[in-house]
Amino acid sequence: MFKHFIFIIIALSFFFTQLAGAQIASTGFEEENNIYEKVYDAKLNLNNGDNRTLTQLCASKPVILALIFTRCSGICNPFLVQLKENLQFKTDTDNFSVLVLSFDPRDTREDMVNLSKSLNLENNKQWLFATTGDIEKLNLSVGFNPVWDSIRSQYDHDALLVGINKEGYITKKLIGIRNKSDLELLIRSVNDVFSPSYRLPNKNRLFSCFNYNPETGKNTPGLGLLFLTLPAVITLLLLLGISYTVRHKRILI
Amino acid sequence: METIKLRKITSLWIITVLFLFIVNIVLGIIMRLNQGEILHEQPATFYAHMTTHGLTQIGIWFVAGMTGINYLMERYLKTSYLANVVAMVLTVTGILMLWTSTYIGNFHAGWTFLYPLPLKIMWAKWATPLFLGSILVMGVGWLTWSVSMMTQILKKYPLTKALAWQHFRKNPTIQTPPFILISMITLIGIITCLLGAVLLLAMYAAEYFSNGAFVNDALLMKNLTYFFGHTIANEMLYLGLAVIYELFPEVGGRPKWKATWYVALAWNCTLVFILTAFFHHLYMDFVQPVGFQIVGQIASYMASLPAAGVTVFSVLVAVYRTSIKWSLTNLLFFIGVAGWVIGGLGAVIDVTITNNFVLHNTLWVPAHFHTYNALGNVLFSLAFFHWFSIQFSEKTDFEKLTKLKLTLLLIGGIGFLLAFYIGGAESMPRRYSNYPAEFPMAAPLAIGAAVFATIYLAAILIFFFQISKRCLNILFSSSSH
Ligand code: HEM
Repeated sequence: MFKHFIFIIIALSFFFTQLAGAQIASTGFEEENNIYEKVYDAKLNLNNGDNRTLTQLCASKPVILALIFTRCSGICNPFLVQLKENLQFKTDTDNFSVLVLSFDPRDTREDMVNLSKSLNLENNKQWLFATTGDIEKLNLSVGFNPVWDSIRSQYDHDALLVGINKEGYITKKLIGIRNKSDLELLIRSVNDVFSPSYRLPNKNRLFSCFNYNPETGKNTPGLGLLFLTLPAVITLLLLLGISYTVRHKRILI
Repeated sequence: METIKLRKITSLWIITVLFLFIVNIVLGIIMRLNQGEILHEQPATFYAHMTTHGLTQIGIWFVAGMTGINYLMERYLKTSYLANVVAMVLTVTGILMLWTSTYIGNFHAGWTFLYPLPLKIMWAKWATPLFLGSILVMGVGWLTWSVSMMTQILKKYPLTKALAWQHFRKNPTIQTPPFILISMITLIGIITCLLGAVLLLAMYAAEYFSNGAFVNDALLMKNLTYFFGHTIANEMLYLGLAVIYELFPEVGGRPKWKATWYVALAWNCTLVFILTAFFHHLYMDFVQPVGFQIVGQIASYMASLPAAGVTVFSVLVAVYRTSIKWSLTNLLFFIGVAGWVIGGLGAVIDVTITNNFVLHNTLWVPAHFHTYNALGNVLFSLAFFHWFSIQFSEKTDFEKLTKLKLTLLLIGGIGFLLAFYIGGAESMPRRYSNYPAEFPMAAPLAIGAAVFATIYLAAILIFFFQISKRCLNILFSSSSH
């Protein structure tokens, strides 16, 4: 009887180990970094002539921050056009502002004014365009890492939107050109409304309950689930071990 | 038979538990007065009270149950005095560490310390390891105690007999006393959830000391937290029930209850299902697959309903149209079972997924668990404390103030709990230091609750003085009488 128990447990353990696997290393998405950390309080040169800091700006209204540079020949323009399109039919525009901030030190206030004109947004109160002298510290605080490519004379960078709430905390990040419902979640999060989100892969997180595969969109059981069964398995082994030991001792006596 | 040493340590446990309970009720009243805007504390102070109150209550009522079964188990087999002492030393050390972390270090992440709160330091940096260390110290003490008791049971009863499996066959030759069955089932559950706590703490330590090289999975941490937290909070109730099965018929002058196939089945169900019932704490975690949520609901029913069914049946059969000797011990057991059932029904309502959409994290949650604790498990242990203390007393006026004590307990307890239930039914959130303006009734309800809790406290104070006086006599007496 006892041997059968042990056999079944070992067989089951092997079976479950087969089902579970460690999370595969990061795919480069870093949307979950820096969440709920304070954004760096950069001094801004706004296109309307104001000189406010980022936290002062957020204090009046939560901010959706778009990081771009005006000489970009790649993603920046389609990224901003898409953002504008996604927001243009929104009626409740009072609960956040969009801050388009250049991360290129060569950009001037004039460049940003021109950018706002080219997008037809120069008179739109919800949209602000700015440069800052503190861009490195700000980049660090939001986990944005543009790399200068001297051959193309361009920055290699992500299209990043950062949601910052009134208290200056980063509530959510979106990387890449995203659809309306993702944007909606970002807006909810800056207004401190619950927004469900999935965990993204992280190479330092070894024991997930489920591993999400962004390519197939499926969840598979992870090592974490095995961990969850561990206390019960150890107890069972302990129980059988003690039961076996005391019985044998009794027989020997 | 029990030794004098066991008597003395049991007395010490009782005095310690009752003393800490009084301090803890005061913390509860302070929290309600703050929610009622009579006191104006910083939110961090409120949450420090809530953390201290929650974990200390769980701790003391767990050890109260263990004290009861350890003492009564000596009727059947020899238990380890050393394990009992180790548990006592580590519990007291753990409680001191806990209170230092919350009141000097200002740790205030709640007794469930949900990940990643303890690692988001908003208090003294040392308070997080001290708080987690306090759980480890207490956990090791309780694990030692439980494993030792389980070993002693297995020395006398083979595993299958300890679990009363022979009752599934016709005419079993050997009887397993229900007390042994329930104690065994409960000890197994306790050991499992304490091992879960050890794993949880190890995961926290790994992240805390790895400087970002290792990150935990929030879903795994939440699952582990409730695997430990929910399970221990339920198992401690079962310890109280084991005491009832042993003492209720005895003090009422009735024959001892026997294990039957349905008693064995109900408690074996509890053993299996209680370990997966905690999934109901994750209903709102949409990343948890739906299958787990369904398991959570079914397991919650299966863990509680059969055991409640057979216990209530046994108690009712014992008192219905029979000449039972009513005493304070019996009455406390009887009212306690009623409180347990009412609180249990509140829990079953909450655990049903469709209802949980409305009741999740509202005051309904503290409403139901305070019912089966403050008017359930606490009464089981008070009954044992009272019964134990009068065993060795030469006086005979044990039933003094019985009516007064029970009236205060009931009026205070019901009033205090009703405020939680009404709040829950009105969707008032739990764990708010101050209620938002959207709930104009929340503050008046909290004040009312504080008044009723004070009445409940008055009853506990009388119990404390009477029982502690007798226990002190046992503690300092040199005779074996
Ligand atoms: C008359 C006695 C008691 C009073 C006045 C009291 C009061 C309170 C209050 C005001 C809260 C916070 C509720 C909220 O807003 O969420 C609370 C939470 C709690 N209480 Fe009690 N309580 C009492 C008895 C008990 C007992 C007997 C237990 C036994 C286990 C207990 C365990 C807890 C736990 C576990 C929490 C949750 C803490 C957390 O959320 O971290 N209480 N109590």
